[in-house]
Amino acid sequence: MGKRVLVVDDANFMRMIVRDMLRPNGFEICGEATNGIEAVTKYMELKPDLVTMDITMREKDGLQASREILAADPNARIVMVTALGQERVLLDCIALGVRDFVVKPFTKERIISAVEKALR
Amino acid sequence: MVKINAKHVNPFVEAAMRVVTQVAGIEVRRGHLSYKAKAEPSFGVSIIIGIYGYLTGQIVYSLDATLAEKLVDKMLEGKSPEEKKIMFLDALGEVANMITGNATAVLNQRLDQVLSITTPVIAAGTHLSVHLVPKPALVLGLLTQYGPIEISIAVEERETLQET
Repeated sequence: MGKRVLVVDDANFMRMIVRDMLRPNGFEICGEATNGIEAVTKYMELKPDLVTMDITMREKDGLQASREILAADPNARIVMVTALGQERVLLDCIALGVRDFVVKPFTKERIISAVEKALR
Repeated sequence: MVKINAKHVNPFVEAAMRVVTQVAGIEVRRGHLSYKAKAEPSFGVSIIIGIYGYLTGQIVYSLDATLAEKLVDKMLEGKSPEEKKIMFLDALGEVANMITGNATAVLNQRLDQVLSITTPVIAAGTHLSVHLVPKPALVLGLLTQYGPIEISIAVEERETLQET
């Protein structure tokens, strides 16, 4: 059984890209969320091995959702997958305890390597 | 008087060229640079993203339907026509999101604050009229083999806003 991944992104297109890259490489997509509120709820419900998390989303952004997930489960493994490649954002993610930071657009190799590294 | 600055343009040119080539394999060349009194789109498909932080304003991406369809077609190679139809607007919004996000990484070299962007708003259709807050914009033309892309950049620095 592959490691279970929760994919969080408000864009259906982006969730499909992540799903299509991870599934053939042995990962199970156990759930998807379209905003930060759903991400927190589904994390508690599904207890995935890893979360791929977008930042810019309506309702609740990925930084706040990650903060809440990590407060509830300090061992949560979160990989940020975002178009916002600013250094300040990267520093905020590191301070939060996020495991890796993937800037969109990304290659299959880049996301798989980030996910595998985060799961070690 | 609102001031617009040409230094804000290059990060968008470079990001657009890199992103469109990577996600769709379509080569993008630099076109003309012009000025508009309002950031209103010229073509049938428009994607609007807001920027806020020390820079505030909006970026309007505009392209014609043929190029938009080609772009999505190439981004979703191997997917069924139904899936392409369902994801059409979503995929275009994501391209604009990636270009804007990548551009802000170059624009914002400051460590004391984040330059945030909004989720994209997409409008598509014939005889479409998009009304935006009237702000002057630098308009950047980009060329592809399937048609032009227009990026209208209407942003101003917060200090300028405070002075007016």
